[in-house]
Amino acid sequence: MSENSSSTTPFAKIIIVAKDEWRYWLRSKLAISVLAIGLLLTLSSVIVTAINTMELSHTRHELQNDADQTFVDQPDRHPHRMVHYGHYAFRAPSPLSVLDPGVDAYTGNSIFLEGHRQNSAMFADQKQGTALTQLGSLTPAFIVQTLAPLLLILIGYSSVSRERESQTLTYLLSQGTSGFTLIAGKGLALMSVIGLILVPLTISALFSLHEGESVAAILGFILGYALYLTVWALLVLLFSSALSKNSESFTALALTWILLCVVMPRVASSTAITTVPAAGKLETDFAVIAELRKLGDGHNANDPAFAQIKASLLEKYNVDSIEQLPVNYRGVIAMTSEAKLTEVLNEFAEQRMQTVLAQTIVSRDFGWLSPMVAIRSLSMLTAGTSIETHHKFLREAEDLRFNFVQGLNKVHAERLTYQDDMNRNKDLDSSNKARVAAKNWQVLDDFAFAVDKPSLRLQRSAPAFLQLLAWIAVLIIAIRWVGKRLV
Amino acid sequence: MSYMFKQLSREWRFMLRQKYLLVLLGCAILISGFSVQSGLNEIEQQQQTIERLTAADEADRIDAQHKHDEFGMLAYYTFHLTYSAPSDLAFAALGERDIYPWKHRIKMLAIEGQIYESDTQNAELTQAGKIDFLFVISALSPLIIILLFHDLFANERNSGRYDLLVTTAKSPWALWGARGAIRFIAIFLCLMLPFYVGAWVSGTSLAAIGLVSFYCFIYLAFWALLSVYWGRNASSAPKVASGLIGIWVLFAFITPILGDLTINKFVHSPKGGDIVFAQREAVNDAWDLPKEVTMDAFTATYPEWKDHVAMQSMFEWKWYYAFQQVGDQIAASMSQEYRDAAKKKYQLAGYASLLSPPLLLQRILTHLAETDAVAAFKYEQQVRDFHRELRLFHYPFLFAQGEFNKGELANMPSFEKFIIEQQDDRNTDSAQSTNK
Amino acid sequence: MIEIDQAKAVIEASSLCVNIKNNPILKSLNFRVKAGEIYALLGGNGAGKSTTLKTLLGFNAPSSGSVKVDGKEVLEALNHVRKKTAYLPESATLYTHLTARENVKYFLSLADIEKTDAEIDQAFDRVALQTKARDRHMQTYSKGMRQKTAIALALLREAPIFLLDEPTSGLDPVAIDEFNQLVRELASGGATILMVTHDVYGACQVADRIGLLRDGELVGEFSAPQDGQIETEEVHAAFAQRGAA
Repeated sequence: MSENSSSTTPFAKIIIVAKDEWRYWLRSKLAISVLAIGLLLTLSSVIVTAINTMELSHTRHELQNDADQTFVDQPDRHPHRMVHYGHYAFRAPSPLSVLDPGVDAYTGNSIFLEGHRQNSAMFADQKQGTALTQLGSLTPAFIVQTLAPLLLILIGYSSVSRERESQTLTYLLSQGTSGFTLIAGKGLALMSVIGLILVPLTISALFSLHEGESVAAILGFILGYALYLTVWALLVLLFSSALSKNSESFTALALTWILLCVVMPRVASSTAITTVPAAGKLETDFAVIAELRKLGDGHNANDPAFAQIKASLLEKYNVDSIEQLPVNYRGVIAMTSEAKLTEVLNEFAEQRMQTVLAQTIVSRDFGWLSPMVAIRSLSMLTAGTSIETHHKFLREAEDLRFNFVQGLNKVHAERLTYQDDMNRNKDLDSSNKARVAAKNWQVLDDFAFAVDKPSLRLQRSAPAFLQLLAWIAVLIIAIRWVGKRLV
Repeated sequence: MSYMFKQLSREWRFMLRQKYLLVLLGCAILISGFSVQSGLNEIEQQQQTIERLTAADEADRIDAQHKHDEFGMLAYYTFHLTYSAPSDLAFAALGERDIYPWKHRIKMLAIEGQIYESDTQNAELTQAGKIDFLFVISALSPLIIILLFHDLFANERNSGRYDLLVTTAKSPWALWGARGAIRFIAIFLCLMLPFYVGAWVSGTSLAAIGLVSFYCFIYLAFWALLSVYWGRNASSAPKVASGLIGIWVLFAFITPILGDLTINKFVHSPKGGDIVFAQREAVNDAWDLPKEVTMDAFTATYPEWKDHVAMQSMFEWKWYYAFQQVGDQIAASMSQEYRDAAKKKYQLAGYASLLSPPLLLQRILTHLAETDAVAAFKYEQQVRDFHRELRLFHYPFLFAQGEFNKGELANMPSFEKFIIEQQDDRNTDSAQSTNK
Repeated sequence: MIEIDQAKAVIEASSLCVNIKNNPILKSLNFRVKAGEIYALLGGNGAGKSTTLKTLLGFNAPSSGSVKVDGKEVLEALNHVRKKTAYLPESATLYTHLTARENVKYFLSLADIEKTDAEIDQAFDRVALQTKARDRHMQTYSKGMRQKTAIALALLREAPIFLLDEPTSGLDPVAIDEFNQLVRELASGGATILMVTHDVYGACQVADRIGLLRDGELVGEFSAPQDGQIETEEVHAAFAQRGAA
């Protein structure tokens, strides 16, 4: 820092300041160990999560194939039995969940699909967990969102205040280095640390290209983290320049970290739950049941609720009784009532999802108050591991359910006569007669869950990007202001 | 005594003059207050949900019983609400109630097909975690204590006051003892006062309040002593705090994460999906199997119905409910293994948490508040037991096929009654064992 | 106020050896300060001045030899020794968020001494601290004012022994004169004063005796003649001999 002639350009001076900061870090036991631990944690989290996610992805694809195969391998049966036999849908993890698994472990990842019912996703991994990872887990997202800011604080809190405390600051400033140049140099040094933290993340993200992730999503993801860590670098610089003592700068930064990274995310979710109360599925199911009662029971073709359908069917085929219909009346009823029922179920399901989304958005709005909340939503949204992705899964699983149930109902209406159907419980023979061939079970759509298009994911994370940019803008203004008054 | 009081009151006035200490204490009481407030809200919502569910469940059951006459149909359409009500301490430790289900509506069908239904809340919010009093104490308060205590000596050394202070003070206790004690009392009160208010609001028992205070005191004192000890010879406050925060990161994140990885590596559990799959297959296959196969499997468990298994038609309700039960029987061992694995994991996590004070405190307090995994396991067992009770009530009507009178439905077990009876049994059991 | 036997040495180091982190800093140091005497321990950087002072205050344990204050081995009667001594640190940074008066009151309370505002003002008057500054936060104080406050505190301690660490460094000439005057007054009142300093001229101006400290050993002692000052030239010559030693 002593080389300081008037001929050097401001930029060269910034580089000199940054180099000097690195030299200080490399000579300080604390800084070097913090750096080493930070990089080690990031690296191990990247590796551990990548291995876990690959296993999960593999298992779920396999389970989906098994479920598909088991369904079509079923023997000759009454088609409605297959409606209740049901099918499974598995949510394959998104490629970027190697970096941020998001809600994956907290929502069930498989759904049992059957007629007349929308089941919830089952077996969230957390339930079979040790409850040890409540405070944090070894995922790159957690490490970089929570611990990386701490790392920046630990190595950077004294960057400017140190010069002030040892009275080199006045010396530097008196030699013509402007306050801004000094802060910019320190900032450059911190940015290079950020670059270092992002290296393992970027490499791991590039691997997800292989899994079909788009370049745009990966760039957005990494850029988001770069912006987030920049916010922290700026906070560090601001406090370090504005406060006169190392200890003051440290205490203020530590408190800021506690509030923004530890307290705020939880305050956000607690507030969201209180401000937008969401009734559980159990509770909304009562409303669903009440609504469904009006529709009539699809198992009971004599339910008065179906009188109108019966009349229109008789008219359409110009016959006098249901026995004379060319189609199986019970199958038609099953099909119609399934369609109506699904409409009701979907309406309630959609309502529930909208409430959950409204809650989530309340908590995401806290991103204006905490960059940690902003990056959390940005990361999950861009990676496709947010609640929206789970909702997409629920909707697609529902489509899958509806299509195969109606496919079976169609078989019921067209491939099984009403007479045989009515006699199905008489004796063993008529029971055997009331079956259709196994070749009819080819009603399943191919189900391979994939996350939303990258453009949609990036569009959803736009507010979070804005939140981070707003933080950066405000902090830069504040630093410029402090930089001019640096003494 | 008055000498001690004089020292404390001097340090109290001294502390009031230090702005950053006041900011820290202010943050502590605000955050603790918010956490208690939102904990109380959450519990109130849970209680209201239970009330609404109980009413709706009752109405729905009466409706179903009114609508259907055939006993098998009645059983098919009658749901029973089961729930685990939050304890009076739950507001302070919401625990795992957002991960494990605490309410179900079950019916006579195979329990394995119903018990894994989870009425979970917003997963994205669950992932962020909620702020409850326990979180504030276990995770946050160590950080606040570190900030309060780390510079006890370092600050004075760094400002060159240390020698003067020590040579002036009548005894080290009058200075450091009083200073530390005042800071500790202040932070303890700031953190605990909201809890006491919350406890008063929700009528928590004095014993529970006492225990929580005791554990919190030990925990906070541990961090305070550690902070003081760590900084005893240092002159750079930030270095002391860095080390302490490092210890906190180690305790709160690193050891639990390593424990979690190790436990998951060594405890193997059947996949939940496989249990449901096995049970479904069994129930569905039963339709195509000879009826005797199902009935034999059923009477192996319930031999009292051996003479009542003959069927008049291709479909009878007793056979239907028999193969539901057989489905459970087939999945039983896997299901038991699944639960055992979960228990084993939780138990091993107990050993791991010995290396992590924050998690140790979480385990102790969630256990006290009955919001931990153990309470969730207990609730699940209650649901299973109740399901058994329910089946035992229905079997005579299904198999003996005597006259069924709707008035008998009044004797149908209800979960609430069942829980009370269970408790009574336990009380008499323990009374008997103490008599012996 | 003064209860110490005039004839006895109030401060006494005999064959005092002190090691810091296994480095010998004081090597068989011997000196005695009598009651009512102003003794200056003079030495360059690293001579062992601060170590001597800290050992007298009980912060360092002697590896051999003995160090006595008021006739008692320091570490054996630490509370007694600290009660009898008033220590004036080199850069007396009191609490900057408190006023001078609050600072003095706080420290007096630590020592379990009660003083009225009037008594405190009297002490401030003695050190010539401006009246209007007394209730101002010390953040705004100059080095001289801080030093004056610390001296006022030392006076109020009513201790018979004063240990002063570079007391005049950073003070302007007027303040130095005032300070020397005060020190002489204290000594004539019977107080024992030990100061450590590297300032030859300052020491000669005020001290009754000067001990020259070099590499942890006393290499010479100079006494002032009756009603006169120690010869500065002589001490300076001895002090400057460091290369030859």
